[in-house]
Amino acid sequence: MARPDGEPLVRCDRLSIGYAAASGETVGVVGDVSFTLGRGEALGIVGESGSGKSTLARALLGYLRGGGRFLGGSLAVDGIDVVAASGPALAALRGLKVAMVPQNPLSSLTYHVRVGRQVEEVLVTRRGMTRRQARARTLELFDEMGLPDPAAIATRYPHQLSGGQRQRVVIAAALACDPALLVLDEPTTALDKTTEAQVLDLIATVRRTSGAALVLVTHDLNVVARVCDRTLVMKDGRVVEAGPVAEIFGRPRTGYARELLAAALIIDASRAPGARSSTGPLLGIEGVGFSYAGKTWWKRTPADHAKILDRIDIQIGRGEVLGVIGESGSGKTTLGMLVAGMIAAREGRMQFEGKGLASTVVGRTKDQRRRIQMIFQDPLSSLNPRQTVGTALVRPLQFFFGLDGAAARRRAVELLARLGMGADFLDRYPRQLSGGQQQRIAIARAFAAQPDLLICDEITSALDASVQAQVLEHLLALQRESAAAMMVITHDLSVIWKIAPQVIVLKQGKIVEQGETATVFARPSNPYTAGLLEAATQASRIAAPSVEP
Amino acid sequence: MIGAILRRTGLSLLTLVLLAIYIFLATEVLPGDALDVSLSADEISQMPPAQLAKMKHELGLDRPAYERLGEFLLGAARLDFGRTVMTKARVVDIVAYPLRNSLLLAGTVIVIAFPLSLMLGVAAACRYRRPVDTLVSVGAIIGYSVPEFVTGTVLVMLFAVAWPLFPATITASTSDPALVLLAAAPLAVATIVIGSIAYLTRILRVGMVEALSTDFVERLRLTGIPEWRIVLLHALPAAVIPSLTAMALYAAAMVSGLVVVELVFAYPGLGQELVRAVTRREVHVVQVIALFSASVVVVLNLAADLMILALDPRTRRR
Repeated sequence: MARPDGEPLVRCDRLSIGYAAASGETVGVVGDVSFTLGRGEALGIVGESGSGKSTLARALLGYLRGGGRFLGGSLAVDGIDVVAASGPALAALRGLKVAMVPQNPLSSLTYHVRVGRQVEEVLVTRRGMTRRQARARTLELFDEMGLPDPAAIATRYPHQLSGGQRQRVVIAAALACDPALLVLDEPTTALDKTTEAQVLDLIATVRRTSGAALVLVTHDLNVVARVCDRTLVMKDGRVVEAGPVAEIFGRPRTGYARELLAAALIIDASRAPGARSSTGPLLGIEGVGFSYAGKTWWKRTPADHAKILDRIDIQIGRGEVLGVIGESGSGKTTLGMLVAGMIAAREGRMQFEGKGLASTVVGRTKDQRRRIQMIFQDPLSSLNPRQTVGTALVRPLQFFFGLDGAAARRRAVELLARLGMGADFLDRYPRQLSGGQQQRIAIARAFAAQPDLLICDEITSALDASVQAQVLEHLLALQRESAAAMMVITHDLSVIWKIAPQVIVLKQGKIVEQGETATVFARPSNPYTAGLLEAATQASRIAAPSVEP
Repeated sequence: MIGAILRRTGLSLLTLVLLAIYIFLATEVLPGDALDVSLSADEISQMPPAQLAKMKHELGLDRPAYERLGEFLLGAARLDFGRTVMTKARVVDIVAYPLRNSLLLAGTVIVIAFPLSLMLGVAAACRYRRPVDTLVSVGAIIGYSVPEFVTGTVLVMLFAVAWPLFPATITASTSDPALVLLAAAPLAVATIVIGSIAYLTRILRVGMVEALSTDFVERLRLTGIPEWRIVLLHALPAAVIPSLTAMALYAAAMVSGLVVVELVFAYPGLGQELVRAVTRREVHVVQVIALFSASVVVVLNLAADLMILALDPRTRRR
């Protein structure tokens, strides 16, 4: 597809983009970014939230979200200067030469239009096909995208498709006009790991068969490793590192790239999580199951397949860290909520230190409630926005230990200090803190009760890679000091590898594998576990074995 | 799908029956029956008790309440509401023309206001936070917050007194043909239209602004789909669907707005008839009008529900 003049498909030269802030001034979001992309090449743009990577991706289509402005530099796509381009020139670009696959496949499709019609619309309005031609081509595209029974799928509405199917429809719509460049913005972030792998395979196939160049924006190095040849690492709107994927993953030059890589899972025997170290049983769960009541009052008992959790047996010893992994919908969050007593199990028994544990907090003693604490995924919504940090920390201290105000405050300051935060945080409100700080407050609040068992539900999922590492370190330090046991629920295998010596793998409410993390990760016996590991280790396989800590 | 329609229709019917019972209880069973209410205190004090009892017997008011309720419900189902207590005129005859006239007024308002507010709402949303939008939004807030009797009076002062284009009050009689009546009532129509457009435009503008900021609109724009297609085929239905319930509620509120406007302009509709019936203590007429306006609310809500079912595939279960 290369043109004789050798001009690259995309030439971006010292491009700067800014947004109008509420105060009226313009805040730079992308600064001095330069790169080129040849025809058929695949470039991964990696960075954390706020790094300007999505803005850069949309700029490739000459599109900036409300308030955005090009501040300087140039960006040419297929010979069209998108910075200076007029409306009609951009119209000739969008969809025809450059196509976009946005992040959330459900909200990216019009919910009241059948998916077949949505692809046909592109073919009719952009390629000038007749309805009949468009219809035939849509079915072909659906077939190429690996959608089963294209004719039936075409008549469905978006909400009737699975996440993976929706993303295939969106990709089909993007490919409708054979674009020279396909821009994918976090194309698999909203999908499960197994679905993600299938969609990424599809993207790789599309690239081979269509010859389109790819720009793939993601925070996940594994995704880049799977699809791209070259990568740009962005931080605060600037490119901090650029080059072939193998080179950057193998020998990251900047500290930031190293941080990102450290967040990816690297299975390395020398750094395997420690062995089981327990001083006696703490929590025992036997045959626990959960399901939601039937929808109609005359049919309360749900069918077997509707069970969220099915006959779960778990033992956690004192001071032990157990990892729980699985995809969304596997029941792992439900398991955490059952142990925390927020919902009642439908069947099975729970024991805490040899004594029966009531299924909901209402039936538990105050001491049991104190000893089992929970930390949630989204720290902002789990902290009361109208309470200062001080109030949030002092409350459990007063409630469980009867400390007076001054003593509780002293203890709160101590806790904050352990988490690397000063006493001045006591008077701040959650909104005034960064995501990582909020989560550290949530951790401090849980440890204020001096728990024996801490349930951590996806506590690092809302955080960026560099912040994640910090939060995990603090959590581990506090856990070792207090010898509390932890149940760490996450979909992120690298978190488990770093902190949990024991692991269970949940799939559709059943435990499909369990054992020591080092063994399970090195030699998964279940294909489902193997699939999860495969998806999570793409980056490290390119990087290994030359990664330096 | 069919099950959902049947369920909603059934619920609406049940609501109507409950409403009818409530109206019956409120007007008849509470202290003072139809006769007591129909007669003034003076008339009752001058009437010998025997004659009063005889009248009650003739009217069937001495029968137990549940019997009369059953009769009322059966009558309502057959659209037969009996005769007035004093004049013995058929209630249906009294109400028929005012009912037609009010429906005519409301229908005209809807035919004018719906398309206009659709256009204004869409235009404002497409020019979000630009002069057109500001103008529409400010105009809508003013039009919505000024009560109908003020708008009506201002219109009369402007177009009937200062610049006598239209009659200040309506001179057509109750049984005139529809077009004669409408031709005589431009100011009455305008008054309700202004309030309706203001309210509907506000709802639609907000819905459109939201719909235009969705991910699917951004995707369509990035695909280069023409803007008019995005607005009309993708965003507009997405804006109308959630607005339907609010629109149905508005149409219900319009019923009470009509009463005020009919009084201001002396329009011979249900509102006027209601006021007349209340002052003359014609209990049965009040019952019919109350039952009718309640039914309008129920029916419109049912219509909104069914339209949402038809437009939003997510509400349908396979």
